Amino acid sequence: MRTLKYIGRRLLVLVPQLFLISIITFTLVRMLPGDPARLELGPLAPQEGVELLRHQLRLDKPLPQQYIAYLQRLLQGDFGRSWVNSSSVAEDLLVRAPATLELITAGMLIVLVVMVPIALLSASPSRGWLARAMRRISFGYGLLAGALPDFWLGLVLIFVFFSVLGWAPGPEGRLAILDLPPERVTGFYVVDTLLAGNFDTFKSALSHLALPAVTLAFVYGGPIFKMVRASMEAALRSDYTIYAEALGLPRRTVLLWAMRNAAPPAVVVTGVVAGYLLGGAVLIETVFNLNGIGQYAVQSITTVDYAPIQGFVLVAAVFTMMVYLIVDLLQFMIDPRVSARAS
Amino acid sequence: MSARKIDDDRRWQHSSASVTRHSAHRSVTGLWSRLSRFDRAVLFVFILVLVIAAIGPFVAPYPPTFADPLQRLVPPNRAHPFGTDENGIDVLSRLIAAPRTDVLIAVIATTLSVAIGVPLGVVAGYFEGADRRALRWISEGTLRLLDVIQAFPVFILAMVLVAIRGTGPVNVVFAVAFVNFPVFLRLVRSEILALREHLYAEAAVALGNSELGVGFKHLLPNAWPTVLVQVSVTIGFAVLLTAGLSFVGAGVSPPTPELGAMIASGAKFMVIGQWWVAMFPGLLLGLIVFTFAVMGDIVGKLMEPGQRTIPARRLLSKDRIAPAAQAEAAAPSAPDAVLSVRGLAIEASGGPPILDGVSFDLMPGEILGVVGLPGSGKSILVRAIVRLLGHDLQRRAGHVFFRGKDLAELDERTLRAIRGYEILPLLPNAKSQLNPLVRVGDLMVAHIRAHHRCSRREAHARAARMLGAIGIGDAEHWLAAYPHELSGGMAQRVCLAIALVHRPPLIVADEPTAGLDVTVQRQVLDLMIELCHQSGAAQVLATRELGIVAHYCNRVAVLHEGLIVEMGSVRDVLLAPRHAVTRRLIAAADLRAVSSAATTNTSSKIVR
Repeated sequence: MRTLKYIGRRLLVLVPQLFLISIITFTLVRMLPGDPARLELGPLAPQEGVELLRHQLRLDKPLPQQYIAYLQRLLQGDFGRSWVNSSSVAEDLLVRAPATLELITAGMLIVLVVMVPIALLSASPSRGWLARAMRRISFGYGLLAGALPDFWLGLVLIFVFFSVLGWAPGPEGRLAILDLPPERVTGFYVVDTLLAGNFDTFKSALSHLALPAVTLAFVYGGPIFKMVRASMEAALRSDYTIYAEALGLPRRTVLLWAMRNAAPPAVVVTGVVAGYLLGGAVLIETVFNLNGIGQYAVQSITTVDYAPIQGFVLVAAVFTMMVYLIVDLLQFMIDPRVSARAS
Repeated sequence: MSARKIDDDRRWQHSSASVTRHSAHRSVTGLWSRLSRFDRAVLFVFILVLVIAAIGPFVAPYPPTFADPLQRLVPPNRAHPFGTDENGIDVLSRLIAAPRTDVLIAVIATTLSVAIGVPLGVVAGYFEGADRRALRWISEGTLRLLDVIQAFPVFILAMVLVAIRGTGPVNVVFAVAFVNFPVFLRLVRSEILALREHLYAEAAVALGNSELGVGFKHLLPNAWPTVLVQVSVTIGFAVLLTAGLSFVGAGVSPPTPELGAMIASGAKFMVIGQWWVAMFPGLLLGLIVFTFAVMGDIVGKLMEPGQRTIPARRLLSKDRIAPAAQAEAAAPSAPDAVLSVRGLAIEASGGPPILDGVSFDLMPGEILGVVGLPGSGKSILVRAIVRLLGHDLQRRAGHVFFRGKDLAELDERTLRAIRGYEILPLLPNAKSQLNPLVRVGDLMVAHIRAHHRCSRREAHARAARMLGAIGIGDAEHWLAAYPHELSGGMAQRVCLAIALVHRPPLIVADEPTAGLDVTVQRQVLDLMIELCHQSGAAQVLATRELGIVAHYCNRVAVLHEGLIVEMGSVRDVLLAPRHAVTRRLIAAADLRAVSSAATTNTSSKIVR
């Protein structure tokens, strides 16, 4: 009951936030010099088409009315058209979104499966060789993470693993040129190929995903890594861990309970990072030619194609808001102190 | 420039008007000595980066925009140590010329962010604490608007801003400044909110200054150190952002030498194995960003008020008599003692001894009070008995025998079986001893099952009975509670229940009633002593309150600077102290409480 109430209230906050986002994206394009309709349709469009769109956008009416027209279009799922490839922006985004989501998911999986355990191990004050090695790794990583540019790291990985070693495919997209994409179920090639039972294509999709995901994890996992390590260190040094040791509780229990305390700050940081991931995906997609929505935005910027830019910005902001929502709800679930404060 | 700034801030903080030349010089060498070798190296690289950014284009070996079509994509050689790019331009020369663009854009943009964010932060912080509701609403609204602006991923927002206004350095500066100013606004706001609680802020207002004026004149200078740290980090981040923008073609475009654009132009050659065009700019970029980030740490370190070591007040030489208790060190432990400590010495790794030759015996059912000034080593003694010293303290000499077994020689497993089953700790501030994310019941059940084979349900029932036995009604409610729902007294009672559930022969308590109010203190202690008597548990009770010792203990040991300076029955020691420290402790305590309790101390009857 309390949980439902909290979720309800948290969702209520989302409404004004979404409104503000739509106002900002609306203003972004209105800030441009020139006729928004002409900008959206591009320099080659015939004058009649522009007039039609002008009418549709109510550009002859005052600003509030224009905003309402903009909202109406959004609610109908109409994000405008790209004048470069004369396609619907909403469709373009939908087709490309799985590539981006697949990249982000794979990157976060690497962070959770590889980097978080290393962080936890390196936090332990034990003098065993494993903990020592992990501490050394984490020290080196702490120095590098956050300083190395992601787009450059991607290029170096391509150079090492494709050009020199030949272990990974080059930046040719999500599949080799001759591979046929699997039938679309989830849009994730790695999942869809498995569902279709096509293991060769699965291997190809996985190997094409590996380097970009590693790049993403390495660069954007840094804050998560540091936070997990710091809060685990604090938890292990805390009074309650010493007390649990003094009570002779099994080592496993002591560590698990310490980890519970490391979880809430880690979740918050993971959420913040996940919000940034879409921005990071822009560069990594461009480097690896993954053709996701990030690369779509970059292409639109170089071709001065405004409708896709506007659409992408909107999607990115909504995505971030959703991630924050999920983080708040998770936080509510794992930390009884938060739920006590919230109710 | 930053050194001057630091100095200024220090003067603000200490408000000492006359800083003589001499002390200024000393403070500089003091600052230098506080830096590790790593910090100094970073500082050196930082200065190098600044110098290259300032004079780079003039010292490059080749003109950084001069293309030589005959020398395209030459691998690194003697004439071109870093090779040439696809236009035949020397990569090294471009590398030397490029940081100027990135660093300059980043510095100007960050300055702009500070110029916008800091005043707004002061105003927001001031409005938020204002009495007028309208002002508070404005502040609240601003913050929510910032939330939404920050919902747009930084890179995307910057990219779009540049796209809208057109590429070029000026627009990159605006975009980078815009995405970073919320950071400073939030930072200054929270600093101001914290600072305005201080007395001097209230005093300044009381003297008739306007509140906003106080915010700018008196509070903001105190926030500068934090802001300066953030500035350094933000510049590094802004360099990365500028390079990223140029990389996707939404920033500075060629032929202006710029690191991101250089990586972009080298990208396609990297794939086919001509790595030098993009490799070196990336390394340099990483180095610059890293340097600025670490400089943030360094600036933060320098801003901390200097640590002064307070010389410990040593005992006068006449007080430093060889304590009588020392003789026990060599003596064999009494055969039926529960606990006997022999010549125990603990030291901080490399530091002075914290405990030195501590020896005593504890008989079954006996309660030994350990008293001493704060810092005399009481807590360490208690922790040493449970072998929980952590990694910064180590045992230098001596032994702790528990029922004849040397605890130091037990392996991890046996020790685990003894800890929590036969030796139970009671530690200060019980609330912080309980893991905030573990229910009381889960802790109790885990503890019972760690030492006693039984089902979860049996353990739960036993925990509930135990809570009942120490007078906690509605046990089920408290078993399901999280520690934050408990009061301090309730938490200590839970710890007491945990301590007694296995009827241990030994309890070691360190200030078990610290942080509780006096009546609760009394209840908890009475309960603890009564239950210990019932179960025959012996107890080591470290406390700084002589009243507690006088009332509850059989024997008392006075600890000072790691030595037991006096030990004996409570009556003897408290009524006829022989050592100066004991006299000092008695003088500091409430005399009546101590002496009357000591004369009526009846515990010797109970023990034997």
